[in-house]
Amino acid sequence: MSVQLSTGVKSLRPRLSIKKMAWFMGSRHIAPNLFALSVWGFVTGVAMVNYGLAAWQALLISFLVYAGSLQLTVAPLMALNAPLWVVFFAAMVVNLRFIIFGASLYPYFRHFSVWRRIVAGYFLTDVGFVLFMNRFRAQRLGRISMYYGYFMSASFLLWLVWQVSTILGIYVGSYIPGSWSLEYAGVFTLLAIVIPMVRTQPMLVTVVAAGAASWLGQQLPFRLGLFVAIVVGVVAGVLAEKYGKHGGKARKGV
Amino acid sequence: MSVEYVLKATALMVLCAFITRVGYLLIGGYIPLSDNVKSGLRYAPVAALVAIIVPSLLPWAQGEAPGIGPELFAGIVAGLAFFRFRSILVLIVAGMGTLWLLRWFFG
Repeated sequence: MSVQLSTGVKSLRPRLSIKKMAWFMGSRHIAPNLFALSVWGFVTGVAMVNYGLAAWQALLISFLVYAGSLQLTVAPLMALNAPLWVVFFAAMVVNLRFIIFGASLYPYFRHFSVWRRIVAGYFLTDVGFVLFMNRFRAQRLGRISMYYGYFMSASFLLWLVWQVSTILGIYVGSYIPGSWSLEYAGVFTLLAIVIPMVRTQPMLVTVVAAGAASWLGQQLPFRLGLFVAIVVGVVAGVLAEKYGKHGGKARKGV
Repeated sequence: MSVEYVLKATALMVLCAFITRVGYLLIGGYIPLSDNVKSGLRYAPVAALVAIIVPSLLPWAQGEAPGIGPELFAGIVAGLAFFRFRSILVLIVAGMGTLWLLRWFFG
């Protein structure tokens, strides 16, 4: 029944300890990001109420949908009583990147049961995805027993902190002056995730291309720019890898 | 916003979140990807984060001329501070400090 026993060793203890280690590692790696995420969650809560949603409606959306950038995009549209198809379309555009994330995660998650994949999907976030890929991309596929624990411990902690801070934002956000611009604390922290990832020339090309595209892309409707920038960044990275100095050498080596 | 409208919109958002986040994980096996696409996906996380960061630091409202604000400089200071000290706390203090200072000075 279990697909995980590649070693054929029946002993339970090493499997347990690897799983426990995965849960421990996931929570440790997410910890430095939690403060920034709580600021973001707080800001999201404040924004939803400011756009005119009742507290119970904002809570419902936060728990059922659990997608910060989607909520921040849709709330202003809802405040304008935009047609429902516009709401759905904008939400889809902002969330399209998760299809790319799903495609990246699929090789790691395909052994999970359907139920676990649905749970993992609900808990999938930008930061959780980046953490997971940073941890496991460099290695060959394997260590299947670690994937779920690592992903879920990091993602669950993130979820918990996010929901608590959103609830705080919904109920006490009106007392914090908007001029503090706390939302930038969240934005700055993303830099701390990006900077260590940019180690190769193609990665740098990706940063420049995605940055330029997302800057120009602000002129596109429905925050389409977010998705366009990801596609442009990925394509630029691939091309740089193929035709750039590093990529050329690596291919000759093979 | 009527309650009915909010509930319908919420249902659509749930549907959207399900399609985009769970969809590929469930049916990915039926959508084979070429090796090119697979290797390209390595660049997706960085591209996604940059695409979230840049419009916040360099906002450009639709139909207006592009401009530069204190957010950009605060972001650069925050990035440099992190590059030098590798500490998220230093990054937040440097970034927010610069932002508030610039706004107070020029605001």
